[in-house]
Amino acid sequence: MARAAEVFRKVLIANRGEIALRILRACRELGVEAVVAYSEADRESLPVQLADEAICIGPADAKRSYLSAPAVISAALITGCDAIHPGYGFLSEDDGFAEVVAAHDLTFIGPPAAVLERFASKAGTRQLLAAHGLPTIPGSEGMLRDEMHALNEADRIGYPVLIKPSAGGGGKGMRMVRTARELESSIKVCRSEAKAAFGDDSLYLEKWLDQNRHVEIQVAVDRYGHGVHLGERDCSVQRRHQKILEEAPTPALSIAARAELAEMAVRAVVAAGYENVGTLEFLVDARGDAYFIEINCRIQVEHPVTEMLTGIDLVATQMRIAAGEPLGFSQADVEFRGHAMEFRINAEDPDHDFRPSAGVVERYHAPGGPGVRMDSHLFPGYEVPPFYDSLLGKLIVWGPDRATAIARGRVALEELVIDGIVTNTGIHQALLSNETFLDGKMTTNLLDRVGSAAFLAAAARA
Amino acid sequence: MPKPDPTDDRRRARSAADRSADHAAIDRLSGELLPALIAKLGATGLGELEVREGAWRVRLRRPVEGGAARRERRVVDRTGEWAHERGGERGADHSGERPGHAAHHQLESVTARTESRKVATSPAVGIFQPRAELTAGTRVQVGDRLGAVDMLGVPQEVLASVDGVVGTSLVEPGEAVEFGQELLVIEYDPAAPGSTNGTGG
Repeated sequence: MARAAEVFRKVLIANRGEIALRILRACRELGVEAVVAYSEADRESLPVQLADEAICIGPADAKRSYLSAPAVISAALITGCDAIHPGYGFLSEDDGFAEVVAAHDLTFIGPPAAVLERFASKAGTRQLLAAHGLPTIPGSEGMLRDEMHALNEADRIGYPVLIKPSAGGGGKGMRMVRTARELESSIKVCRSEAKAAFGDDSLYLEKWLDQNRHVEIQVAVDRYGHGVHLGERDCSVQRRHQKILEEAPTPALSIAARAELAEMAVRAVVAAGYENVGTLEFLVDARGDAYFIEINCRIQVEHPVTEMLTGIDLVATQMRIAAGEPLGFSQADVEFRGHAMEFRINAEDPDHDFRPSAGVVERYHAPGGPGVRMDSHLFPGYEVPPFYDSLLGKLIVWGPDRATAIARGRVALEELVIDGIVTNTGIHQALLSNETFLDGKMTTNLLDRVGSAAFLAAAARA
Repeated sequence: MPKPDPTDDRRRARSAADRSADHAAIDRLSGELLPALIAKLGATGLGELEVREGAWRVRLRRPVEGGAARRERRVVDRTGEWAHERGGERGADHSGERPGHAAHHQLESVTARTESRKVATSPAVGIFQPRAELTAGTRVQVGDRLGAVDMLGVPQEVLASVDGVVGTSLVEPGEAVEFGQELLVIEYDPAAPGSTNGTGG
């Protein structure tokens, strides 16, 4: 069977920041050369400095660089690459892009175009995977055609409902509405947000579940239909639908319930013809019932949580599967050890409603010690450009149990130094002293219910 | 234990004779060829000099306006520092000229020299092809097509940003270029009408 290093001689990394660095490291470990494609704004970035080769593909505006399929593919061709790793975001789940990549005899490191197309629509995917046994949240039949259709569907489902865009993620174009009047006033806003963020203004409705948990299952499926799950991650700590902290195992479910959900998920995606690494997201309600919401056909920001627990390199797994290698291990070979937690360190100011911050990193120190991993592209003197997302890095801690992971998290957050830029580190420290979180009883509205400012103030008083 | 370097095999693949020849060529380059070329470039008004010998190619280029902002900054900073040092010396010589004044003169002369050149840069990542009949000395006007960068079969036009005369070509026809890469120099007269239209390549 093919081996990634034999199939790929040179890979173009079509992304930036910490994930570009993560992919670069995986390439090196596999003995594959890597070319980092960058925008003018990222000329001095760490992935560009550390790359075997780097190529400027466009200006700071992502639409003309990281989101430009012709620029990315042209860069891959002129640098002699034979594969493109899209990372997350940008072009990572664009089936049209994957198709053009393949048409130029390049390999898209991710699911093949036909698979991406099959899972492109969230509503379509819910129907497809429901047919393969996954429970789904009651929602609208297909996309919302117009306002009248939306009002009729919301009446049928019952308020409150969640307006969701068919494309993309990250909370953009998403609103919870409690009444018909709110629905009417929000639809236009959601459509324009979705159009601006994803180029697609298709919306659908979902029943709003209160007090729920966000639990996702990591899967890996090779092209021969052999799939495994790599356990779950609990991503319930969110702010306005944006994940802030992820951990595994989830404190929300018993060992048996976790195994049942993960097995059900991998069975369904294998049956539906999925290929490569992917994540199935579920909402788990107060009774412990799980509902499938969407699939992410790419590497996730929070993938290190699973890597810490299983010891399996997910980026290398993506590359091996794309190269045609069989998985090479079975479900019985996957061992889950201890507890892992990831803190997303963002350039955001918690004291000012998490507004994005930019500037120059004056001093940077990454924490260390047993079970501590820092995935970050920062260095002293690095100027954080204002054009992209605010993720500065991910601090991941592991311990033999949740209490140890939390203790290590506290020490590591205390040790972390990022001077010159305001970060959200304070919210993580507040979480680690919050009783609801410490008891493992957090739900997706833990922060938004009281407001982040009140949450921080309460932590400061405690 | 250090990680194995994936490039080790490729390095080993080159023979000892190849490496020895490379080292000899590098020694000669730094010891003889480069100083001679720098002197020659300095003595002429040329913007660029290129010498080829076997598989080796050495190209020297004057700093030009319109390149990366970084490079522009360096030119000005270096000139400023040097000029300030000169001013200090003059002050010590009691020449009566204020140090700042001397620095100003120096900066002006450098600016005047660099402002007569504009560099057309690549609007895309791809393969550059200059316009067929374009050669050094061709007179161009603002908006004239200088060539195109082929990005996946779609030509991205490279246009003149100033009235002037085509000078040195900084890349070969058919060469792969990245976004923003310097392609062609246009020499122009800053005092001539129409020459102030352009704002850079």
